[in-house]
Amino acid sequence: MRTIDNIRQFITSEICGGHCEPITDTDLLIDQGIIDSMGIIVLLGFLEEKFAVRIEGDELLPENFATLAAISTLVDKKNGMNAEG
Amino acid sequence: MEFVLSEEQIDLRDAVIRFARQEIDHDLPSYDKEGSFPFESWRKCADMQIMALPFAEEYGGCGSDFLTTVVVLQALGYSCRDAGLVHAIATQILCGLQIHLFGTPEQKQRFLPALCRGEKIFAQAITEPGAGSDAIGAMRTRAEQTEDGYVLNGSKMFISNGPIADVVIVFALTDPESSRLSGISCFMVEKETAGFERCRSIEKMGLCTLQNGELVFDDCHVPKATLLGREGQGAIIFNESMEWERSLLPAAHLGTLERVLETSIAYAKKRSAFGQPIGKYQAVANKIVDMKVAFELGRLILYKAATLKTQGKRAAMEASIAKLFISEGLKQSCLDAVQVHGGYGFTKEYEIERDLRDSVAATIYSGTSEMQQAIISRLMGL
Repeated sequence: MRTIDNIRQFITSEICGGHCEPITDTDLLIDQGIIDSMGIIVLLGFLEEKFAVRIEGDELLPENFATLAAISTLVDKKNGMNAEG
Repeated sequence: MEFVLSEEQIDLRDAVIRFARQEIDHDLPSYDKEGSFPFESWRKCADMQIMALPFAEEYGGCGSDFLTTVVVLQALGYSCRDAGLVHAIATQILCGLQIHLFGTPEQKQRFLPALCRGEKIFAQAITEPGAGSDAIGAMRTRAEQTEDGYVLNGSKMFISNGPIADVVIVFALTDPESSRLSGISCFMVEKETAGFERCRSIEKMGLCTLQNGELVFDDCHVPKATLLGREGQGAIIFNESMEWERSLLPAAHLGTLERVLETSIAYAKKRSAFGQPIGKYQAVANKIVDMKVAFELGRLILYKAATLKTQGKRAAMEASIAKLFISEGLKQSCLDAVQVHGGYGFTKEYEIERDLRDSVAATIYSGTSEMQQAIISRLMGL
């Protein structure tokens, strides 16, 4: 499964509890309230464990978590892959 | 995961215990009664480099890992009876960690050496008169951007170290229209800044030497260089700092719990009733057993959280469990210790009543026990 689909599945099932509309790659996760301040803690735990990455202080920026595409790009960049990986 | 302390950690812990017993000698009952801050003892702790522990040597720190810092705070909570002073030191370290993690090289150079030496006192300002557990969601303090910086307006409440702080890390709304996750920023405001007022310390039932008060920002202009992290990064910095805070404060609380446990054991062996030591009665022994269980299990989860942080991993769940378990364990242990000591426990002379008053704060500060339960539940996907 692609990185972006893995993250989509996690946000849909674990953060939204399966109670949200299908999330597109460019939906604004923070602005639309899909991810709140607690949600990002849950998401960071998932990303670091699932993809074996460590997201550092200067990467903990809202824009890196604004959309599924942005999160996926960050994770793939950290794993030395392109966003399609 | 192994929780065996290194020889160096054990030596440091023992040195801090000796230091606190010999050097922290202010008249605590008087300070507690008057609600005064023990500046001389603060300076002694700074000279002992306690607040410098986790910071890089280039900034005047000791370069210790986070587990070592936690072990030292536990030792201080055990050997220093002034829980308000220990809380103030934990707050100082927490502010330093935020600067260390999110500050620019210039900010680190400017603030960390003075923080490590204890020359400047730091505070973190999140809570507001109308925003406690929902500090991020209900925040009203604004930081409006100007050509050369920001203008802060609003007030913060119950800020630990606030009334005596030289530098305050202030969380404020920079974009009230956007989500709170991206609309809050952090600023480092110095006490001399025009429009910034530190109000008097608030009287409390416990932690009386810790200075807590309101901070008011009235058209307080701060330059862009005071921004800690990037604009909009405040909520994320808050989340990150809570993991550290929820390990630092429980470390001190665990130390106090250990002291209360030892005091109770000694009294239960010495005090006799109906012809034998009261510790021989199950009704008394069981209370002390519960203290021991709280101490041993609290130490395991605390060291797990601190070890994860030392390894650069996330410990949101572990830190919240440690905060919840240890603070509630401490409060119950103090209540039980008063009961074990009977009439003497209720007197000021035996000092357990102060530990009990102080322990109530442990279940409230840095997120109430109920908030920790909500966080843990959310982290489990409920």
